[in-house]
Parts: sequence; structure tokens; C-alpha cells
Amino acid sequence: MTFRLRLASFLVISLALLQIVTALLVYEVTRRQIIGEGEHQLALAATAFSRQLDDVSARVADNVQVLTLDYALRSAIAQRDRDTALSALRNHGRRIGATRMLLMDLDGAIQADTQAGQALEKFPFPDLADLALEHPEAAVVAWNERAYWIVVVPVSAPTLIGLIAAAIPIDDAFLRHIQEQSTLPNTIELAAQGGSGAWAVVARGSEGTDLAAQFIAAGDGWPQVPVLRKVNGREYVVSTTHLRSSKQSRPIVAVLGYSLDDALRPYRSVGIAWAALLALGLVLGLLGSLLIARGVSRPVEALAATARRIAAGDYRPPEPLVQRGELGELAAAFANMTQAIGEREEQIRFQSGHDAVTGLPNRVAAEAAMQQQLTADPESHGALLMVALARLPEITKTVGHAISDRLMRDAGERIRGPAGESLVARAGDGEFLVWQRAADQPRAIALAFRLIDLLGEPYREADLAIDLAPAVGIALHPVHGAKASDLLQHADVALFAALGTAEPVVVYDPIVDPHRPERLSLMGDLREALDQHQLQLHYQPKLNLAQGSVDGVEGLLRWQHPKLGMMAPDSFIPLAEETGNIRRVTRWVLAAGIAQAQRWNVHGRRLRVALNLSARDIDDPELPQRIEELLAVHGVSPEAIVLEITESAAMSKPDAALRVLRELADLGIDLAIDDFGVGQSSFAYLRRLPVRELKIDKSFLLRLAIGPEDRTIVRSIVELGHRLGYRVTAEGVNDRATLDYLAEIGCDHAQGFFIARALPPEALATFLSARPVPAGESMV
Amino acid sequence: MVRCSRVLVVLIAMLPFQAVARELDVRVADARGAPVPDAVVTAVPRANYTSLPAVPSPKTHIIDQKNETFIPYIEVFRPGDSVVFHNSDHTRHHVYSFAPARQFEFVLAPGESSTPLPLTQSGVIAVGCNIHDQMITYFYVTEAPFVARSDGDGRARIDLPPGSFDVRVWHPRQRPGSPDNAQAFTAAADAAPAGLAYTLTLLPDQRDAHDPERSGY
Repeated sequence: MTFRLRLASFLVISLALLQIVTALLVYEVTRRQIIGEGEHQLALAATAFSRQLDDVSARVADNVQVLTLDYALRSAIAQRDRDTALSALRNHGRRIGATRMLLMDLDGAIQADTQAGQALEKFPFPDLADLALEHPEAAVVAWNERAYWIVVVPVSAPTLIGLIAAAIPIDDAFLRHIQEQSTLPNTIELAAQGGSGAWAVVARGSEGTDLAAQFIAAGDGWPQVPVLRKVNGREYVVSTTHLRSSKQSRPIVAVLGYSLDDALRPYRSVGIAWAALLALGLVLGLLGSLLIARGVSRPVEALAATARRIAAGDYRPPEPLVQRGELGELAAAFANMTQAIGEREEQIRFQSGHDAVTGLPNRVAAEAAMQQQLTADPESHGALLMVALARLPEITKTVGHAISDRLMRDAGERIRGPAGESLVARAGDGEFLVWQRAADQPRAIALAFRLIDLLGEPYREADLAIDLAPAVGIALHPVHGAKASDLLQHADVALFAALGTAEPVVVYDPIVDPHRPERLSLMGDLREALDQHQLQLHYQPKLNLAQGSVDGVEGLLRWQHPKLGMMAPDSFIPLAEETGNIRRVTRWVLAAGIAQAQRWNVHGRRLRVALNLSARDIDDPELPQRIEELLAVHGVSPEAIVLEITESAAMSKPDAALRVLRELADLGIDLAIDDFGVGQSSFAYLRRLPVRELKIDKSFLLRLAIGPEDRTIVRSIVELGHRLGYRVTAEGVNDRATLDYLAEIGCDHAQGFFIARALPPEALATFLSARPVPAGESMV
Repeated sequence: MVRCSRVLVVLIAMLPFQAVARELDVRVADARGAPVPDAVVTAVPRANYTSLPAVPSPKTHIIDQKNETFIPYIEVFRPGDSVVFHNSDHTRHHVYSFAPARQFEFVLAPGESSTPLPLTQSGVIAVGCNIHDQMITYFYVTEAPFVARSDGDGRARIDLPPGSFDVRVWHPRQRPGSPDNAQAFTAAADAAPAGLAYTLTLLPDQRDAHDPERSGY
């Protein structure tokens, strides 16, 4: 429901409710007042009706009395001239509307009766006759099931000689006549009790009303006070009054009705006017509230639309809809906000697209720009040059960020010169990229060497002269990649190659790219392999040359890859080291090797198990403790294992290696330097390490049989090692001559295909059973 | 209607002869106790009585009509008396009577007098004027030997000789159907003056009914 609709309906509904409640209230009050008025009117009307009857009585009586003063009639009566008297009575009766005229003696004996055939002997209402002796008397009586007015007047000639009674029927017409002549309520009915005692309606003043009939039907008597009755669907205030009558007559009541509907009729037009007013008010209220709501909701809707526009990135100021009021302030604030957001977004966008130090576009922006061009023209040629200052991390560490930032800014300036219109961006910490459009390989290489020349000049600041050691990797579009991201990646690979060699400029060669994507998936597989026990350790026997027996093994990792088959460590260990998975691998190797050592121990085999540590493991401070726990868990003594690290690993992190290796040595574990001889380690450094064994790199052993130089080297290592207190092991022993030579020069252990390949534990057991194993005490 | 035996007629004029006469004091009042004037009291001996006054000779009564009124209102006649109407007004009067005792009708011009009308029959003769309805006078024609009329105090006095009498009271406005109000009265020779009281139920005065100026409306 919109605000507009809600406001409108609230106003309209409250208005309508108010009006309706007021109308009901007024109606109820009016109705009560009218009922009260009706009761009052009826009280007056009852009196008025009686009085009117009396007035009419007096008039009729006067008429009759005038008649009695007629000399001829008087003489006829006095002289007992019955026929004359009768005709005179009939004549006068017609004149006054009487249907029956009676002449009687003073004692009530009927002398003449205009209604022939039903002649009466005695006047039926003697009390009236008695009263009439003193003055003319009139009363309403029930007579022959009808209501009559009986007027009795004395006849004097000149003294009282008789009475004349006139019977005037009170019928509907008579009542109507009375009603019309007066202000009486619109309904008068007369009811009389019949001979049987039952009441009957004898006259009605107006048609269609049955007030008396209802009371008669109800049978609970006539109300003493005005009551409210519903008759034929109309409401009346009804009162009854007993009419003065002859004692001899059965009682007669007048039922007076005050019609509420008629009384309310004048109010009906008021009500209609009211309803019209209400309708008008509602319409006006609705329109007004809609207008007001529109005045509020339209700017709000406009602001909402503006907000959506802003959300969509359109920062044009909103149209000024309202100038005044709270909404005006809101709109103004909105406009300010929009502008501020726009400016800030502009800034953020610039920042997000640019490098703060050099002011050049950053890699993301450059990649987007490149991609835009490539998408627009996929066939175009282009060259991406990735320029790195290899020594930047070192420089930063040495002279600080401030100088290195200035250096980078300077380098950027130098690059922008020859780059010309090409896109120059900062691609990383010490890296720039140059996107040379429409360039082929020779042009790219030419630019690369130009840049090398420029950057080859040291950066000078004060008395500092910093050598930048630049290198450039190049990837070409479209041959090295269709997408900008591919080009960036490949230029990086080429750059990496350039950094690792003496060549300062390298063009990407897909064949030598070690960073092919499929290798990454291998790591996922490796993690899975660790969880699903696809890895296993094979053990290569180490032959004790002095004793001629196998007294140790080296645990070598094998991976039974579900798709690629058996994989050698060389194909996945470097990757694991790069991707940070090596520690998990090492952990697994240690656990498996120590567990195996425990099993052999149980079986009484005295074999020392050599296990390899990676360069990444030796700066793991938790390593010694973990090994100690493993040994404790499996109940294996530290002398039962040997841990091997390569010479290059030991040299790469001398301090960390020294600390970790000492801790391991303190546990009582022998350490060996693997691949000894190819690294650049010095004996001076080696002396500081708690190493007990040297393993001569197999590259020396492979040519041992034919190469006199290598023989010298091997012999020298063995002799020097022995002199320094190391055991010496030769790896890669593939023929008997080598083995014999090693034995001759006093090498301690030999290891290689000629002795045995790396074998699974079961196969090793078989192999060892075929060879004598040096007897001795258990090493545990 | 009072009927008396002709034999017992005694003239009032002969009363002074009765040395031993007794005075009867009659009081007439209406239902409310108000004195009633113009009532005619008659006393009729219950047995033959020799010492009745002598029957007087016939007499002519003059009934004047003045200010549209018969004067007097009540006049007592003995059978054989005559009446003469005299018109003292400036208007005509149409005098009439439908009474069974004597019926007549004539018009009197202003200042004119009628010829004497003899009233031979006992009874009450109501006389009216056809022009002026309020005019009425009553002639009480009776043979009763002792007759008196109540005065403004409702009192009538009759000197009666010793003996028993039926004493009646008549009034023109007495309600029709009223019972015979005869009371027996015995006059003793040496007794103290005695009285009789009558209560009458009267109708309204007809003379008032037709005259707005005099009526109570």
C-alpha cells in the first residue's frame, strides 16, 4: 500500500466514521426528541380531541336546540301531533347530519322515532336524558355496534315538555373531517366494546392504519401512557383516551397515533442533504488527501528514483521538485550527497585504477584497458612487456619505503619515455607493464632492450646509487594468449625466466612454462591423496659396505595417482612446496616411516629408517615436538630414524635450519645432509650443524666408473667427511665397479639400483630375507 | 298536578275570621340548602271540614310584560279567575300556552292589553312568549283552601285552623318525576307555631338559559 493510498484512506475513513457516528447520534437524539414530542403532542391531542368533541357537541346541541325553539315543532309536540313532530324531526335531523332523531317524554318514553321499524319504547341512555333536563347533553356512545354521538336537548313550550335526541354517527368520514379541521395527529381511531365484550374498531380517521386493531389483537388492554408501536412497518407513538360516554353505553376509546415517520419526514431531506454533504466531503477529502499525499509522495518517489539512479551509477543531481519544507531540505541534502558520492567515487575509481606511488594505472586497470582493446579488435597484434626490478624487495628492506617509492616513480618516468603512446602501468611491487599495441616480436624486443638500457642506469639520490637490476618478460598477442589475463600471466612467466637467468629479456615460450595450469589441479589431487591414503612409502636399502649387509633404508614417497599412475616425488614435491602443502606431506611421511620402523622393530629387524625433510619443513618450529610425539606414540627410539635435508635447504635458511636441526639432534635423532656436493655449502657452515652423515649427490656417482675427476671428488668427500667425523653414504650406485670402488675408498654406505630399488615393505622383507641382515641387539 | 275537591275550597280572604287559627311556617330549600323563592305551598284538609273560609268571588289578575319579562313569575289562580296580559314594552309579545288546562295564543302590540281570559280548570299553565324565549310565567290554578308563596328567604306562612292537612309544595322548576312531597300536618288549638321543611330538586332557571346577560356563561 503506498503512502498516498494509506493517507487518503485514513482521512476518508476517519471522516466517514465521524460523519456516520454524528449522523447516528443526531438521528437518535432527533428520534428521541420526536418521540418525546409525540408523547407531548398526544397528551395535548387527547385533550384537544375531547375539547373538539365538546365543541362539536355544543354546536350540534345548539343546532338541535334551535330546532326545539321552532314554534311549529313545539306546538306539534305540545299538542301531541306525532306525525308533524316526526316529520319536523326528520327534516331537522337531515340538516344536522343525524341519522336518527328521537322525541321522548321527560321520563324517557319515546314519543317519536325517525327510524321506523325499530321503534323504541324507552330512551336507552336515561342518564343522558336526565342530564338533558338541565342543559343540552351530548356524549359518544356505542350503539348497535357503531359509535354515535347522542345529543339530547330539552324542549320547552315554554316549560319543559319533552326531550329530543339526535344520533349522529361517528364514522370514518366524521373522524377525517375532525382531523382535517384540527391540528390533531394524523391518526385517530375509535374502538368500542361490543355486546359480547370484545372490542372492535368502529371508526378510522385515516386509511391504512390499524393501531387500535393491534391493541385489540394483543389483548392486553389499552395503554395508560403513550407507547411506541410499529404498525404495518411504520412507527407510531400511541396513546388512548377513554371518551366521556353514557353510563348505559359500552366504553369507547379514542386511539391517537403520532407517526414518527411523518414527523421524521422533514428531517429526511436534512438527512439526504447530510448524506450528500458527506459524499461531497468524502470526495473532497479523498481528493485533498490524494493531493497532499501526492505533494509528499511525489518528491519522495522522485528521490527514490534518484537513489536508484545513484545506485546504478548516475550521479547527476536530482531535479529540484520541492523548494520548501522538510522535503526541500531532504532534496537539497540528497543533491549534496549525490555530488559528494560522485566526487568520492571518482576519487575511488581513480585510486582503484591507479597506483598511488607512481600515478600510473594499476594492473587491474591496465588489464581492463587491454582487454577492452583486445575485445574490440581480437585480430590485432600487440606485445606485453613485463618489466621487473628484481632487487626492489631488497632495496626496500635496505633503504626504506620512501626511497623505494621515489625510485619506482623515477623508474616509471624512465619507462614512459621510450614507451611513447603505449600503455604503461604498475603491475606489482617491483613490476611495470608496457602494452605495446600493433607491435610484433622484433619491435617488442627492441623496446625491451631500450628499457633495460635506461633502467640499467643506477637510481641516484643524494649520495646513494642504487642498481635496479631490470629484467623484461614479453608475451605477444595473439600467439601467446588471446585474453589480457593470459598475456599477463605468460609475460610474468617469461619475466620469471629472465630473472632466473643471465638473459635480461625473455620472450615467453609455452614449451618451458613450468606454470601450466594443470599442475595446480595436481595439488587438489594431492590433498585428496593424503586423505584417501593414495600415498605410500617405499624403502630403498642402504648397504653397509664394511659389513656387507643392509642395516638401513631410506623412505621414498610414492603416489599412486588414480589417473596418472605411480608418480615419483620429483613430479609433485616441488609443487607441494610452492603451494604450501609440503608440511602435510612431511607429516604423513614421518608418521608412516616411524610407524614402519616400529613394525620392523617388533619383528626384530634392525633397520634405521631415513626420512626426507623439505626445505619448507626446517623453519617449522613445531616439527621437533611433533616428531618427538610420533616417536613416543609408536614407542620407537630416536636412534631408529635418520632425518635427511638437502644441502640447498640447509643453506637457504641457515639460522632457522640450525635451530630446528639442533632441537632434533637434542632428541637423539641423527641428521644427514642429502645431495651433498652440488650446493655451495662450506664445511665451515656444515661444522656448525649437528649432522652425523653426508650423502654424496648421485651426479658424482653416475660417472664414477669412467670419470677420474669424479672419483677424486668422491674420494676427497669420503676422506674429508671421515676426518670431520661424518658417516658418508653414496647414492645412485648402479654398477658393481662403483660399489667396489666405494668399498675400496672406505665409504660407509651405498645405496642404488645395483643394490636394490625402493621397495614396498613386503617386498623389502622378501629382499632382506634373501640377504643376510647384520645380527645385533634391537635398537629400541 | 294538584287536584282539590271543589267542596273543600276555602278562600284565603276569609282567614281573619278564624280566631283560633294556627300559623304554619314552611321552609323551602333546594338540594344545596339554598332558600327557594316562588314555591307554591298548598294545604288541603284531610277530612271534611266545616269551618272553611268562604269561596271568594272570581277575580281578574293582571300580568304585566315589562323588560321582556312576565311579571309576576308565579301567579296563583282559583278556577274561574281571569287573566289579562298587558304589554308595557316597546316590542311585540307573542303570548302563548300549550297547557292542557288552558291553551291560547295571541300577539300583543306595545301598550296593548289582552281581553280577559277566564281560567276555569285547575292546573299549571306555563305561558311563554314566542318572540322572547326567556319570557315565562306560571299560572298555578288551584282549588286548595290554603295557599301561600315562598318569599325570597324560601319561607311561606299559612294560618291554618285546627285539623289535619296535607301540605304540598310545588315549584315550576321542580325536576320532572320528583315524588309527591305531601306532608301531613295537624294543627292543634293551643299549640305553638310549627314549621315544615321541604327540599326540592330544581332544574336551572329557564329564564337564564336564553339570556346571555343573565346566564352564568
